[in-house]
Amino acid sequence: MTYPLLQGLRVVELGESISAPYCAKLLADMGAEVVKIERPGVGDQSREYGPFLDDQPHHERSGLFLYLNTNKQGVTLDLGTPTGQEIFGGMLAQSDIFVHNLPPPEMDRLGVDYDNLRAHNDQLVMASITPFGLTGPYRNYKAYDINLAAAGGICEGLGSPGREPLTFGTPEVGYFAGMAAASSIVIAVLAGGGQHIDIAEVEAMAGLYNGPEALMAVYQWRITRRTGHHALDFPYPNCILRCKDGYIFVGSPEGRQWRKLLEIMGDPDWAKEPRFRNRTTMNNEYADEVDGYVEEWLMRHTKAELLAVALEHRVPLAPVRGFDEVRTDESLADQFAAVDRRDTGPISYPGPPYNLIGPGLARQENTAPLPAPFLGQHNADIYCGRLGYTKEELVKLYQTGII
Amino acid sequence: MSPDSQNADPGPLSGYRVLDFGWVLAGAIPGMILADMGAEVMKVETRQRMDYMRLGRPIIGDEPDPEQHPMFHNVNRGKLSITLNTTKPDAIHLIKGLVTHCDVLIENFSPGVMERLGLDYSVISGIKPEIVMASISSNGQTGSLRDLRAYAPSIGALAGLDSTMGYEGERPLGLKHAYADIAGALHSVFAIVSALHQRKRTGRGQYIDVSMLRATVATMGAGLMEYEMTGRVMKPKGNYDPVMAPYGNYPCSGDDAWVSIAVRTEEEWLGLKEAMGHPPWCDDEEFASPYSRLANRHNLDERLSGWTRERDAWEITENLQAHGVAAIPVMGAEDRLFNPHFQERGLYSDIDHPSLGAEPIYNLMWNLSRTPPSIRRHAPLMGEHNRQIFGGLLGMSDEDISRLEEEQVLW
Repeated sequence: MTYPLLQGLRVVELGESISAPYCAKLLADMGAEVVKIERPGVGDQSREYGPFLDDQPHHERSGLFLYLNTNKQGVTLDLGTPTGQEIFGGMLAQSDIFVHNLPPPEMDRLGVDYDNLRAHNDQLVMASITPFGLTGPYRNYKAYDINLAAAGGICEGLGSPGREPLTFGTPEVGYFAGMAAASSIVIAVLAGGGQHIDIAEVEAMAGLYNGPEALMAVYQWRITRRTGHHALDFPYPNCILRCKDGYIFVGSPEGRQWRKLLEIMGDPDWAKEPRFRNRTTMNNEYADEVDGYVEEWLMRHTKAELLAVALEHRVPLAPVRGFDEVRTDESLADQFAAVDRRDTGPISYPGPPYNLIGPGLARQENTAPLPAPFLGQHNADIYCGRLGYTKEELVKLYQTGII
Repeated sequence: MSPDSQNADPGPLSGYRVLDFGWVLAGAIPGMILADMGAEVMKVETRQRMDYMRLGRPIIGDEPDPEQHPMFHNVNRGKLSITLNTTKPDAIHLIKGLVTHCDVLIENFSPGVMERLGLDYSVISGIKPEIVMASISSNGQTGSLRDLRAYAPSIGALAGLDSTMGYEGERPLGLKHAYADIAGALHSVFAIVSALHQRKRTGRGQYIDVSMLRATVATMGAGLMEYEMTGRVMKPKGNYDPVMAPYGNYPCSGDDAWVSIAVRTEEEWLGLKEAMGHPPWCDDEEFASPYSRLANRHNLDERLSGWTRERDAWEITENLQAHGVAAIPVMGAEDRLFNPHFQERGLYSDIDHPSLGAEPIYNLMWNLSRTPPSIRRHAPLMGEHNRQIFGGLLGMSDEDISRLEEEQVLW
């Protein structure tokens, strides 16, 4: 789904993997016109990540790439050449926004810095997404998703006591950096443009994600430790337990929710023991024992039955769903849009997580997303159509490896 | 930073006014971000039903005190607080008066509450058509899951996030963090500022219905595409990446110390070998190519752990990074607080709060060069700005304000 809120904004993306591509995707899905620059012949590294349609590897069939790059136009350009730099400058001169996630040593090598680039366009909003930011002793440190999660506070409390700290099951940090950059960009445009934005992926994770928890730690209020499927210092239950056909999250931050759950369970005798009166103590000291009692009831019910119980009695039960169940959830169906693309046929991708409504309660107009670009698909449109190169020059640029 | 020296420079959103009914995390964070960016954010709260973040045990003394919750201080810094008891018709009337002065309205009550209060978008846009109103909810304002009681971990479960969180072949452990709150809050901020951009251009207002579930789903690219492209459903695999090995958190010398290491290219593998001083096992055939390293990743992890276990996490980090290999210790909040990199970049500011004194608060590290965000004031005391807002903005007399306080309308 594509909304027109940012219609008219022109964006150049020099992005790989998740962070800058997701940033530009957010902008594109809101109506901005995004041109993605990829390395000639190679392209964004997520083209090799997969998953590939029917396990047939091909750089035009990588699921992660196709998802993160819908609604964009694609060109190829070698920025390591003077001609490439000149073309790049010409694109920036006609754009409002430039977002990239080159690591700082690459920025230095290619001369991609704000003071250089603003010569092409002093109104340009440039966003640099880097692992540790553009300043500080770790400026040039390398990092992948697990490193950013480790330094950003995700791993510290994930896992079981004495075993290795865990990270996310799939790469996630880049999404948070992409969201931070996309909002920062629009805010900079609202403030009149002409700014450079420095987003460190690790800080996008640490600051927002753990900020509140961190202050708790300062007061030794809630200590982050690896405690398996339980979390310390919450009232029991706040954990994933077994049920008949899988797993279910069981929570009850409010006392009345826990009382309701016990009532649904048939007011079991164990719950009347005095040592289970304080739910935080119950969580911190007897969680494994209580899991057994609760699972005895849960194991008699399926995820679907428990979800129905949750809806009927307003208690916080939530099935742990696999991605097949997420995809087939009727209530989420309209978040997914099938996009037809040569090489893959129609594939459904998640769309923006908002429904927009305008004054008069009219649903905001929206259009179907366009498929991710083939490598260099829009070279002629952009270089000839927008920048004024001739067809002959386009061929020469290709033959000399510039595009 | 003392209260009077707190940053008064106009931010990029100065001039915008926000009526903020957001609470707990997902609802409170967007207002916090807009406040750091310079908007005037009025937090609407009530003693009738306090923000959960104001509840909990006190830091000083034994009596419950709504001014002592550190999480509240973090996610409400920069805001003004007014108290309005929405069970009183006069309060609803005052809210409508405030709406005429505001550019943005944020709320994350359960779906249906605003309608019950007579404050849903059809009413709000009737009062001020150009307002941008965002409703943030667990599962959206419509659909069969709308009324499900759900918190961040519930949404992690529903979105598929938790299904891959765990050790290989074992039960899903789930994520303990408020992932869905942050994903929901950040997508909301993006939609709000995009709507402000549209409004600046066209004068048009906007209603934004953000679902935390959908926001989390939008970040599940790898897992959803795996199913879409291959029909396979991902399960917990521990610290795993489909193309990288080694990829994990490795034990180091000291108490519960770990270092994260990830190797993607052949060049990085050579760097790692060099950094370790070429131990003979590196040249075993099972580690000879990226393909064989992936296939034998458990053996590789064991070998690498044997090397890291003898060494300090930071020493390993400096050594590996000097050889072009991605490595950094597993860090906690205090590690970051005292870390030279984050100190130089100003990740924290000490903000004085009347009840607890100076507290280290994470900054919004969205570093705009010309108009950077900043923490403009400590989190407000309950109703601290009633006189300023109802007197100044709505022009009410001191007597009227006192009367409404007595009648528990401003409550």
